[in-house]
Amino acid sequence: MPQAVFLILGVILIAVPLAMLSGILIAGCKADPPGKAETAALNWAKHKILVHNKSQANPLKDNAAAVADGKEAFSHYCVACHGLDGQNTGVPFADRMSPPVPSLAGNDVQSYTDGQLKWIIDYGIWPSGMPGSKNTLSDEEIWSIVLYLRHLPPAGSLGEPEMYTH
Amino acid sequence: MSEKAGSLPPKISIEEPQMKLKYAVSTAVTAMLVATLLFVSVTRAEAAPRRIEVTAKRFAFTPGEITLKKGEPVVLVLKSIDVAHGIRIKELGVEVKVGKGQSNEVAFTPSKTGTFVAHCSVFCGAGHGTMALTVHVVD
Repeated sequence: MPQAVFLILGVILIAVPLAMLSGILIAGCKADPPGKAETAALNWAKHKILVHNKSQANPLKDNAAAVADGKEAFSHYCVACHGLDGQNTGVPFADRMSPPVPSLAGNDVQSYTDGQLKWIIDYGIWPSGMPGSKNTLSDEEIWSIVLYLRHLPPAGSLGEPEMYTH
Repeated sequence: MSEKAGSLPPKISIEEPQMKLKYAVSTAVTAMLVATLLFVSVTRAEAAPRRIEVTAKRFAFTPGEITLKKGEPVVLVLKSIDVAHGIRIKELGVEVKVGKGQSNEVAFTPSKTGTFVAHCSVFCGAGHGTMALTVHVVD
């Protein structure tokens, strides 16, 4: 009889709180889209505080060859999340991430300076799924990607990344 | 007397052409020899430019630095011992790519002096961005 009491108490005191905690954690980890206020606050913080290197200029000349280099470098793996056109074309999970993968042609991204875009590609950006690419790509490749971002083609004009078409 | 006097001119007339012939032959042989030597040296220079072998392996080139001479033709041989790689010397307009475990080469003549950093031109993994080859071109 005392053993049954201890068992019941154990369930109440340990298992129930654990289950509740698990429920809270699971619900809290859902990748729900951020609200408008949260998005606005974070965008402001990113542009003004969190993303550094505002004044560094792109050392590459803005010409067709350099943009083509950027497009090539972008195709290494950026396309997995951003699509070939940088506007998420064909990326099946773009809207399901929290925050959603932004269109790189949109004002939120285009309003960063070249130096800030380089910094974001170098180090990634929090909170988002954007990873840092420093040393995975060379400085020159990253600067060429920044150039490509300034010359993105029309949305959908390049089709979908090959990895999502077979 | 008349026989002796008459015998001299023919002797002279026979030796002179022989001398001229010998001179002409020796001149021609010398000229041919010089021409042959020049031809050999020129064709040797054209047929066998300097070859430089570079081995690529994630995430480094070996050697990591090479020195070339401006105006001297060179063949850059790139050998991969793992995945696909490439070398692009942007300032010299040179690029060579190589498949997994293969070898490839590019012939070029450096047109300007300086130190240039060439990068791997084929994405090869997490350290791809650090894979560089320093190219010195000297006078």
